[in-house]
This record gives sequence, C-alpha cells and structure tokens, in this order.
Amino acid sequence: MSNYFLESEMESYKWNRKNLLGIEELTPKEIKKILKLAKFFKKGINGDPIKKDYLKGKRIVNLFMEPSTRTRIAFEIAAKSLNADVISVAEQSSSLTKGETLRDTAMNIQALGADAIVLRHSSPGSPLFLSRLVDVPIVNAGDGAHEHPSQALLDLFTLHERWECLEGKKITILGDILFSRVARSNFWALSKMGAEVTFAGPSTLVPKQFQSMGAKVCYDLREALEDADAVMLLRIQHERQSSSHFPSLSEYTNIFGLNNDRKKWLKEGALILHPGPVNRGVELDSELTDSSQSVILEQVSNGIAVRMAILYLCTNSEYRADK
Amino acid sequence: MMSSITHLKGGRVIDPVNNTDEIKDLFFMDGIIIKTPEKNLESKVKEVNVEGKIVFPGLVDLRTHLRNISGGQAENIKTVTAAAPAGGYTTLLLMPDICPMADNTGTIQYIQDRILKYASIKILLCGCLTKEARGESLAPLGSLKENGVVAISDCPRTTQNNQIFTKGVEYASMFNLPIIELPRDRSLSENWTAHDGPLALKLGLGGFPRIAEELFVQRAISVSKSVGTQIHLSSISTCGSVDMIREAKRKNVKISADVTAHHLSLNESSINDYNPNFKTSPPLREEIDRTALIEGLNDGTIDCICSAHQPFQEHEKNVEFDLTPAGVTGLETALSICYEILIKENEFSWKNLISLMSSNPSTILGQANQQLVSGNWANIAIFDPNLNWNFDEANRISQAINSPFDGRNFTGKIIKTFFKGEEVYGF
Repeated sequence: MSNYFLESEMESYKWNRKNLLGIEELTPKEIKKILKLAKFFKKGINGDPIKKDYLKGKRIVNLFMEPSTRTRIAFEIAAKSLNADVISVAEQSSSLTKGETLRDTAMNIQALGADAIVLRHSSPGSPLFLSRLVDVPIVNAGDGAHEHPSQALLDLFTLHERWECLEGKKITILGDILFSRVARSNFWALSKMGAEVTFAGPSTLVPKQFQSMGAKVCYDLREALEDADAVMLLRIQHERQSSSHFPSLSEYTNIFGLNNDRKKWLKEGALILHPGPVNRGVELDSELTDSSQSVILEQVSNGIAVRMAILYLCTNSEYRADK
Repeated sequence: MMSSITHLKGGRVIDPVNNTDEIKDLFFMDGIIIKTPEKNLESKVKEVNVEGKIVFPGLVDLRTHLRNISGGQAENIKTVTAAAPAGGYTTLLLMPDICPMADNTGTIQYIQDRILKYASIKILLCGCLTKEARGESLAPLGSLKENGVVAISDCPRTTQNNQIFTKGVEYASMFNLPIIELPRDRSLSENWTAHDGPLALKLGLGGFPRIAEELFVQRAISVSKSVGTQIHLSSISTCGSVDMIREAKRKNVKISADVTAHHLSLNESSINDYNPNFKTSPPLREEIDRTALIEGLNDGTIDCICSAHQPFQEHEKNVEFDLTPAGVTGLETALSICYEILIKENEFSWKNLISLMSSNPSTILGQANQQLVSGNWANIAIFDPNLNWNFDEANRISQAINSPFDGRNFTGKIIKTFFKGEEVYGF
C-alpha cells in the first residue's frame, strides 16, 4: 500500500459500505468524501506525482450486460490507472448466452477471486440482488431505469469544479426521465447537495408522480430553462420506448429540443450537461454540443477520477458483515 | 366390526351455512358427521379436546396453481395437498396453467388420474377458456365439463380479445360453467413488474397501472350484464375495482369477486428492496387499495378470499426482480393472515371469515357447501387462536419457498384438519 496519504488523511477516507448500489442510500457526507478523493486522483492524472499502486493486486471484473462505451471504458481506465487487474466481460462473450443466470455468473466470478464486480444490467435492483449473493463488493454501473451512481457523481464533480457550492442552485433535467437511471441518480445526488431539481419533458416521459420523490415537474420548456443554472439533457432512448410515449423524434425536437433560439431562454452562463451518447440535432443542436457552455467532455474525463475514487473506497472498505 | 367415532370436544363451532357460532361437541364416524352417539357406543369414541379452539368447515380455495403435476422437486399434487390442510383447506380449485395446459379432455383425464393417485384432499379442476390460454380460439368447454371440469378460466392469463371473451362466456353459460376472470388489459401492463405508482417510478420498475385492471373489471360487468350470466373476478387489487363491483352489484349484475389474502395484508412498500417474494400477481398496491379491499369484504362487495398459491422453486424465483415470475405461495398462511387482519384488526366475525373462505367459494363453483351437521362429510379444520408460531422451514410443508411471509411470526394457527374424517394435518 502506498504511503502517499498521510495517516490522518487516510482516516477521512474510511468507507463503511461494501457496495455502491445507488445514490439514494448515500449521505451527503459520503458523497463529499467520494468527490474529495476524486479530486485528489484527478490531480494525479493531471501530472502531480501520484503513486499508482492503490489497487495493485486487486482484480476488478467489469460485468457489462448492456452496451456501454463511456462507462465501461472509464471504469477500465480508472482501475488500470491504480494498477488493478481488470477483466471486462460483455454479455455476448459470457456464458449468459448459454443460459447461465446472472446469479451463477457472479458466483463463478467470485470463485475466480474477484475483488470487486462492476455491474451494468438491464434489471432494476440487480446490483442489490447480487450483493446479497456474493461477498465481493458490487459497484452499480447502471441498473435498468433505477440508478447510475457513478454518472451522477461525475456530474456533481463537474458542477463542483465550476461552482464550489451547489446549495440553492437550480438544475433542470430535460428529456426522457421515465426510463432514465441518470435522472434518478442525479436527482438524489443534486438534492442531497442542496440543489433544486426540475424534471422537464413530455408528460408521457415525465410522470407527475415524480413529485412524490421531491422533484419539480414542468412541461413548459421555456419555464424549465429560464430559471436553471444548469440544464442536463438526456438522450431520447428510442430503443426503450414504445411509439405511445411520443409521436416521433422530429416532434420531440420541435417541442423540446435545445437549439440556438431556445438557448436565449437560458440564463447567461448556464451550463449544458449531457451524460451521452448525444443524439445531435434531436435533443441538442450540434453547435450547442460543442459550445463553451457545454461541459459534456469534461463530464467524460471526470468520469475517470470519480470511478478511481469509487473503486478505491469499495475495495478498501471497513465494512464487516454482521455475522 | 364397528368403526371408531371421533369426538371433537368443547370447541367453538363456526358453521356459517347453518348460522352457528357456539361451543358444542362434534362427532364423526366413517368420514361422516353424526349426531351424539348412543351411550352404548361410548367405548368406541376417541375424544379430542378442542376447548378454546375454533372448529369450522374445511376451507375452499378458488385459485391454486401448479405447473407440474407429476412430482420431482417442484410442487405437485402430493405436496400441495399436504400443504393446503396446514392452512385449513380441504378443497382446491386447480387453475389450468399446468404443463400441458388443461385445455383438452386428454390432459384433464391425465390430471384426474394423478389426483386419484396422489391427492389427500379434494381437487376441483378449472379448464381453459381458450386453447392454451392464448385467447385466440375457444377450448372445448362442453367436453371439458363432461370430464369433470367445474369452472373455466385462462388465469393467470387474460383473454384480451373481446369477441372471444364474450362468446366464451355465452358458450360456457350453456353448460352452467362459472367463468373466472383475472382482470388485466395487457396493452396497458406490458412488461409490468410492480404497481404503477410512485415507488415503482423511484425503483425504475415497469408499472401495472390500476386502470389496466379496472378496464377489464368494467368489461366483465358489461359482458355479464349483456349475456346475463355470472362472471367471477379473481384477485382484484384496486380501490376502483371495488367501487365498480359494488355499483354493479347494487344494480343486480351477476358479478362476484375475490381477493388474495396477501393483498389484505401487504402493500407496495414491501417491494422496496426488490425481494422477489413480494412480486405477486396482480402486484401489491397502495395502502388505499388495501383498505378498500378490506372494506369491500366487509360490505359484501367482495365474496371470497383466495390463496393465489403459485409455487416456484428457489432457482426460478430468486432471480432479478423484473425476471422473476409473478406469484407467491399462500395456502399455509392465508387463514392466519386473515385472522390477524380481519378478525383482530378489523373486527370481522368468525362466521363472516369462514363464509368468505369456505361456503362462498363453494357456492361460486356450484358445489355443495361444507356444513358441520350430521350426514355431511367430516371436512373440518381446527384453529388455535393463541398459538404463536413462525412460518419457517421447520413449519413449512409446501415444497415451494416463495412466500412473502417467509420467517414471519404469527399468532393463530391451524392445528388439525380432517378430510372425510381422516386427519390430513396435525400440528
């Protein structure tokens, strides 16, 4: 183990959870702890001397049962940056195609000596399900429409770099909220940090019942944009929606797409976020994607430092199962 | 040689059909309830002291599923008829979603054969409304009846096509076959995993909205009115369904309904940590629905309580929440749950509860009611209202493990069940 941290500093990185299953269960203090450690790792990436052996000898298995570019690569780079051994398994290349259940796959991965499993799966709750079956820490890399905690943490990290404090900030999340784990995790993360979250988009994709979680719900794009300090756009996921949720992509673009004209409704300096992949010209004009207000690529690179922090904490947890 | 006589002594006897709720003795011999025997037969009497216990006719379940009737690890006729008496049941209606489906006379005969061989209590058969319960063409209902089927249903599926459903109801009425319908509009509940409400939204689970049930409750009411025949709605779960059925009954529409015991006790909050044993069919709903269901039982809108026993093996049920099959076991716990929720918390009378779980279901199936008077089969259950017990591996008899009440502590338990005078369960 590296001596890079001072002993006293190590104390502040004590982590009492075995898994990272979602943001809903985290306390604001825990969230801040992850962000602080991510900041430290980011300095390392940017050239400060950093010992790289924090995860040396650890086996991290990326079990990705759904397509992913950013998240999978970022987890891989994060683990490799800390000198972990990384094995990535995709559904197509695993025995799941032979009918093996997720449960058996995970038990086998545990038997093969994994120190952490990073799981992306289409079933909501599947990381919790696995965490009950195996002793290995489970990191949720997106479970159906439930949570995507590492995405929300990197979004927080990105906003923190710009703003120092999120208390009282207004964030609008726009688009397909119903099927979005990013929206849910970001809602928990942002509101735990004191920000106010508005969900906006077509009523069929933004059910009013989200209000019971504590979010504001708005169907008027102008109103949703005018107040916002940042707007987070979500990809319209044609693969998940039946045709009953909205008539067509062009109708969506007409009513809810963010373009140069509508950008004027935003406050000066309001930030534009997107978890990717962007459908250019659908939810967001191509020009705006690349504009100075857009922090989309910062989000992506911050994803590495945040995931380094997550992997470090989960594999060095003080957690002991009550036995 | 003279058979022995069983004497159930000093129990509180509940017999809703004969309006009885009193402390009295019961005697039965050769499987039949008899009058107090003559003095000279006293030496033949075997006394069972049931003071402080509740004695009532064996319960009748309107919804028991088995997917396997031959044996092995899965719940089968032998294991389910061992488990059911532990909950006081002596009659089960076996739903048609067996492999192969109960949609043809050959399969019905095969099942009847297995019942004869393995069942320790009475199993009545429900046949499919449509072939393979696909909702595309009618099953041979008349021939099914000739082979002993007593009711018709596609449960746990639901025929979506209105023409086929209406004609099916009309055709079944010719044979006096009751139709049992699990109300669900599939187009509004595709890929459902939970009640469509705030919790499912938070958990990212696909929803089964109330309206998907209620539209089909309305369909059943309209069809019943139009054809003029009885339709029984199975396992209703929403407050809106209760309202619609109440209104229809007020207008004398021939509609009846049941609710599962677990819907009386649990609401959607149970699924908060994605425990597959709380994925029921239909889903557990909100507290307002649960209380409306109890109110519906109280005012006679809902006629019966069923177990909706759907056994699964551990490896089938204990998977990701959206992949786990909907359905839970219930035969062994239904009465203890109802005692707790209805009698203790909501002041239902024992007579009312036993009609909801025994005589009313029999009536809906057109079967003779179980009664505790001489000349009837001695199908009798005995309940100890003060017994503390855990529903755990030590006490569970069913081969299936998928109970939402796994590990739960109850006060009140069936301690003995007799079927045709034979003791089929003893605690």
